[in-house]
Amino acid sequence: MSRKKSPRAKGASASSSSAAASSSAPSAALPAAQPPQRQAAGHAGAEAAAAANGVAPPGRPSLSSSGEFYDVAFKVMLVGDSGVGKTCLLVRFKDGAFLAGSFISTVGIDFRNKVLNVDGVKVKLQIWDTAGQERFRSVTHAYYRDAHALLLLYDVTNRASFDNMQAWLTEIQEYAKQDVVLMLLGNKVDSTQERVVKREDGEKLAKEYGVPFMETSAKSGLNVDLAFTAIAKELKHRAMKLPNEPRFKLHDYVKKEVKGAGCCRS
Amino acid sequence: MEGEEEERRARQAARESDVHRVDAYGFERPADFDYTTYEEFFSTYLVVLTRRAIKWSKLLKGNSGVPKSLKVKRYIRKGIPNEHRALVWMIVSGAQAHMEQNPGYYQKLLEGEKNDKLVETIKTDMNRTFPDNIRFRKTADPCLQKALYNVLVAYGHHNKSVGYCQGMNFIAGYLILITKNEEESFWLLDALIGRILPDYYSPEMLGLKTDQEVLGELVRMKVPAIAELMERHGIMWTLVVSRWFICLFIDILPVETVLRIWDCLFYEGSKIIFRVALTLIKQHQAFILEATNFPDICDKFKQITKGPFVTECHTFMQKIFTDPGSLKMATIEKLRETSREKLIAQR
Repeated sequence: MSRKKSPRAKGASASSSSAAASSSAPSAALPAAQPPQRQAAGHAGAEAAAAANGVAPPGRPSLSSSGEFYDVAFKVMLVGDSGVGKTCLLVRFKDGAFLAGSFISTVGIDFRNKVLNVDGVKVKLQIWDTAGQERFRSVTHAYYRDAHALLLLYDVTNRASFDNMQAWLTEIQEYAKQDVVLMLLGNKVDSTQERVVKREDGEKLAKEYGVPFMETSAKSGLNVDLAFTAIAKELKHRAMKLPNEPRFKLHDYVKKEVKGAGCCRS
Repeated sequence: MEGEEEERRARQAARESDVHRVDAYGFERPADFDYTTYEEFFSTYLVVLTRRAIKWSKLLKGNSGVPKSLKVKRYIRKGIPNEHRALVWMIVSGAQAHMEQNPGYYQKLLEGEKNDKLVETIKTDMNRTFPDNIRFRKTADPCLQKALYNVLVAYGHHNKSVGYCQGMNFIAGYLILITKNEEESFWLLDALIGRILPDYYSPEMLGLKTDQEVLGELVRMKVPAIAELMERHGIMWTLVVSRWFICLFIDILPVETVLRIWDCLFYEGSKIIFRVALTLIKQHQAFILEATNFPDICDKFKQITKGPFVTECHTFMQKIFTDPGSLKMATIEKLRETSREKLIAQR
C-alpha cells in the first residue's frame, strides 16, 4: 500500500470499533409481522436468536480495536422522524456532550460503539444512527432485522413527529425481529416552553403498544444514560440469564429509575 | 454607513484570512487538522494551480464557449481554476443554456405558492447544513442560509417528483459557495439532479439503490477480494457507500478534492462517482482486508476517505482515471439495467 501514513495516525477521533461482533447473513428471512403487544413476545429462544445474530459468546472476553474488553455485543438502532434528536441523543450518551448547533443532518446510516458495564459484565452497544426522512426508510429498514434493540424517538415540541409514531411502529413490526427490544422516547423535554406533546400522550401510546417509555433531553442529559443502560441490561439478561436467576423486568426498571422532566434542570 | 460597511468587510476578510482556522471556502478546520501534510501538499499544488490558471485564461479568452473537445476534457480533468469554476460548470452542464432559455423562472418559483410540508422539511435542515462553515452561520453577513433556503425551496417546487431529499442541502450549499449566486446554484442543482445523476433523490431512491448495486458488481469485477469480504460478513454496500453517492463525497473527502471530482462530474457525468469509489477501494484493498468483522469493516471504509491519499487532490484525480482501469459507460448502463430489474423484482 502506498499510504504514507495511516489516516488513523492522528488518533484523536479513532472510533472504538470492536473485535467480535456480528456477521449476520443478508439472506436471512424477514421476521413475520407481529401483534403490538411487545411484552407478550416470548423469552424462550432469545438466547439462541441472539447467538444466531452474531452476539459475541459470553464467557470469553473480546478485545475491541481500541483496547477495550467486552463480553457481549448488541446492535441498537435509533429511529424516528428527521430532526427529533437521534444523533444528539447518541452523542450525549457516547461523549456526554450536547451538539449545540454543530451537527449536520444524518444522511443514510452511521454507527458508534460504546462499552457499558452492566452488573459486572462488559456490554458493547453498536449504535446505529439513521436518517429520519421518510424516503430513507427504504434504505435503512433493511437493518432493522439485525437490530437487537430499537429506540424510537419523537420530539415533544413537534406534534407531527409524535403523530408519525404509529407509522414507525407499523414499520418496525414489519421489518424488525419479533423479540426486538423496543423503547419509546419523547426527546427535547428541556424545551418546556415549546412542548406540544404531553407526557401522558407518550405514556398512553407506549402502553397501547406495550413498550417502555421515558422522556429525555439530549441537551440536559435527562434519562439519556438510563435509556441505553436499560436496553443493555435487558439484552444482557436475555443473552446470559442463569437458569435460577429472576427475569429482568425492563418495564419495572424503567418506571423505577426514570426521572421527571422537572427534576434535572437547574 | 460607508465606514461601517468597510469595517464589516475588513472584519470578514480578517476572519477568513485566518488560514490556520478557516479554509478558503469558509470551513473551519478540525482541531486535529494535519497542517504539516497539508502545507507540504499545497506548496506543490500551488505550482499546478498557477499553471492551470494561465492555460485556462488562454482557453477562455475571446471565445465565450467551452466546446466539448478532448482538450477541454483534459483541461477539466486537471482541474478548473476556482475563479472560472462557476462559469465552466454552468456551460458544460448545460445549466447556462437552461437559465438563458427560462429568464425569470427562478424568481417566479420563489414568489409562487409554497408547499408547507416541503418548506418545513427544508427548514429542519437549515441549521444542520455546514455549521462548521462560517458563511452559513446566522452571524455571517451575508448569511448563506437564506440563499440555501431559497435554492432548495425553488428546486422542490420546480421538480415536484423529487421535492427535497436530505443530501441536497449539502450539494446546494457547495454550489452556493462556488457560484456565490442563487440562480446559478439552482440551475446547477437542476443539471445534477435532473440530468447528470440517475434518480438518487426521488422518494423511492431507486437510482441510488441501483448505483450501489452497480458499485458492488464493479468491485466484484475489479477488486474481487473486497467483494468476497463484504459478502462473507453480510454487509450491504448501502451501509458504507450511501453517503458517497447521496452527498457526492461532500463531508467524506476534503473540499478541494470534492470540487475536483465535481469538475469532472459536470463534464463527464455520473460514472466519475464509480471511478472515485473504485479508486478508494482498490487503493486500500490490503488495508480493508485487515478487518475481520462487521464494525471494523465499516470503520475501514470511513478511514480510507481520510489522509494524504485523498488530500493530494491532483494526484488523486490522476489515479481515478488509471487505477480502476477501463470503465465504459456501456458497461455501467448495462449493470444499471440488470440491477434495477433485480431491485424492482425484489419489491
